[in-house]
Amino acid sequence: EPPIPEQRESAPWFQSQDPEGSEGLGVWSRTSSACCTREQPDSCSETQGLEVAHISKATEETFPSFSHSLMPGNMKETPAAETPSTPEGPQSACSSSTVTTTTSSSKSNESSSRQEEEAIPASSQSSPDTKDVPVGSLDEKVTLLVQFLLHKYQMKEPITEADMLDVVIKEYKDDIPEILKRASEHMELVFGVDVKEVDPTSHSYALVNKLGLTYDARLSGDEGMPKTSLLLIILGVIFMKGNRATEEEIWEVLNMMDLHSGKEHFMFGEPRKFITKDLVQQKYLEYCQVPDGDPPCYEFLWGPRAHAETNKMKLLEFLSKIHESDPRCFPSQYQEALRDEAERARARVFSNVPFNITFH
Amino acid sequence: MHSSTRKAAAIMTDVHRRFLQLLMTHGVLEEWEIKRLQKHCYKVHDCNATVEKLEDFINNINSVLESLYIEIKKGVTEDDGRPIYALVNLATTPISKMATDFAENELDLFRKALDLIMDSETGFASSTNILNLVDQLKGKKMRKKEAEQVLQKFAQNKWLIEKEGEFTLHGRAILEMEQYIRETYPDSVKICNICHSLLIQGQSCETCGIRMHLPCVAKYFKSNSEPRCPHCNDYWPHEIPEVFDPEKEREAGISKSNRRSLRSRQH
Repeated sequence: EPPIPEQRESAPWFQSQDPEGSEGLGVWSRTSSACCTREQPDSCSETQGLEVAHISKATEETFPSFSHSLMPGNMKETPAAETPSTPEGPQSACSSSTVTTTTSSSKSNESSSRQEEEAIPASSQSSPDTKDVPVGSLDEKVTLLVQFLLHKYQMKEPITEADMLDVVIKEYKDDIPEILKRASEHMELVFGVDVKEVDPTSHSYALVNKLGLTYDARLSGDEGMPKTSLLLIILGVIFMKGNRATEEEIWEVLNMMDLHSGKEHFMFGEPRKFITKDLVQQKYLEYCQVPDGDPPCYEFLWGPRAHAETNKMKLLEFLSKIHESDPRCFPSQYQEALRDEAERARARVFSNVPFNITFH
Repeated sequence: MHSSTRKAAAIMTDVHRRFLQLLMTHGVLEEWEIKRLQKHCYKVHDCNATVEKLEDFINNINSVLESLYIEIKKGVTEDDGRPIYALVNLATTPISKMATDFAENELDLFRKALDLIMDSETGFASSTNILNLVDQLKGKKMRKKEAEQVLQKFAQNKWLIEKEGEFTLHGRAILEMEQYIRETYPDSVKICNICHSLLIQGQSCETCGIRMHLPCVAKYFKSNSEPRCPHCNDYWPHEIPEVFDPEKEREAGISKSNRRSLRSRQH
């Protein structure tokens, strides 16, 4: 068995860092021809540059929509005080289980102050002109919150509890958990949008599409496929590199797709902004400084939304499809994806347990 | 589960949810587009099911949205009578819908344009007049050149329609803002004599002043060789327009569908 060569320079980036002997693949490299299994040398194709059509098709097939099996319906994270049951990565929590009543700081919300006063939706300072909503009832507050959440969803902005307090629930501080819970139910049942707490420290929530990694037409000019594919490729690189990839490693791959930092691309715009800002803002990626890096350098990880909307198995299927092979060609990643699936299944099962159990 | 969510749970499936998400994303859709969207949602989430009749499909969803004061509203374009659909929020001021795409000063430009449109006799405001108000805008200072581009952006996003240097409201804006307009401009609001909805552009009787939408005129005076004002009976002085006829469209569509997928579209 040939040892895995350290080929970072010639960059078969597809090669995993697993020292146990998983085969690497030089699918993206123009020079390498490493094969996935010795028995099936033909199943690996060398791609000379990216065929967007091929990748788009793979995206369409692998992620046409996500069935509920991908999105653990009521995946709840045990509250912060308990031992977390997930092995890695920020897992998103169902908001209703982790809402704590915050001491409301009436911090002004920049995004809402940017809009005109009358433009703030669901303002509790509702003018007498707006249609009558049942006044003074919890139902009214739930309705207002749902409308506010929808607005924020379309703005692709996260929301904090302070936002919600300021705009919606001033007089109902004690009822926040109930109001949020009912509003979240509506968002989930009616719109297929999950309200997930993504930052327990600042109590901020992201509005995540439950229906899977959707090619939101707003995300790009056409039906969104190319940008989704690009995101999936980046998630793929990160996964293959052991769940974190340096900025350099990402650019290696993007450069092969003729995407260069600072150079405007007709489909993706300026790629560096897209990956370090847009995708980060949308919580698909995390972009952080490598500790003790000298000179300072950065790395990418999956963001909470990526974890929420997809999983490693699906991603592996997608990558295999591009590569026209099988997930089992990447044994260590496949193992990891299987473990990940088992973990999610377990989380699903235990989310229905009425009391909290901690495992040691 | 709360009673209001029980209904949602009984009716809503991923087909409906995807439909709502995509309708929200697009803002406004014409009838052929929304039918295609509906088929797409079925294909993606429930490919074996029969596609429900659009009207029933939408009514079902609306029965769930009712308690949230949101509605899938159907309207008709004022210039050529084509049906359009949008997800409308009934309980808030609609300028917020535009806030997803526009900055504060741009929203204010829209408001200024709306003021001029409502004040006008024809329902159109000239580009020049709108641009002259650029100094009065709230927020970041905007130059006329910029404002021209913002007006184009409004047209692209289907909030305004441009015709020969003049701007009027797109069907989408009317659908979303009818109530807001009625409340904000109670004195200058114009109503169609036939359908009693808000009227921005249309034809008016020169004798008694009543107004009618172009599609309403077409329908009311259909195959009438001597059109007369429904109010004062005076001779109707305007040309009777040709507008979108769903029946004709359907027939054309059926013959086309034998060759390719149903994509009948007026012009």
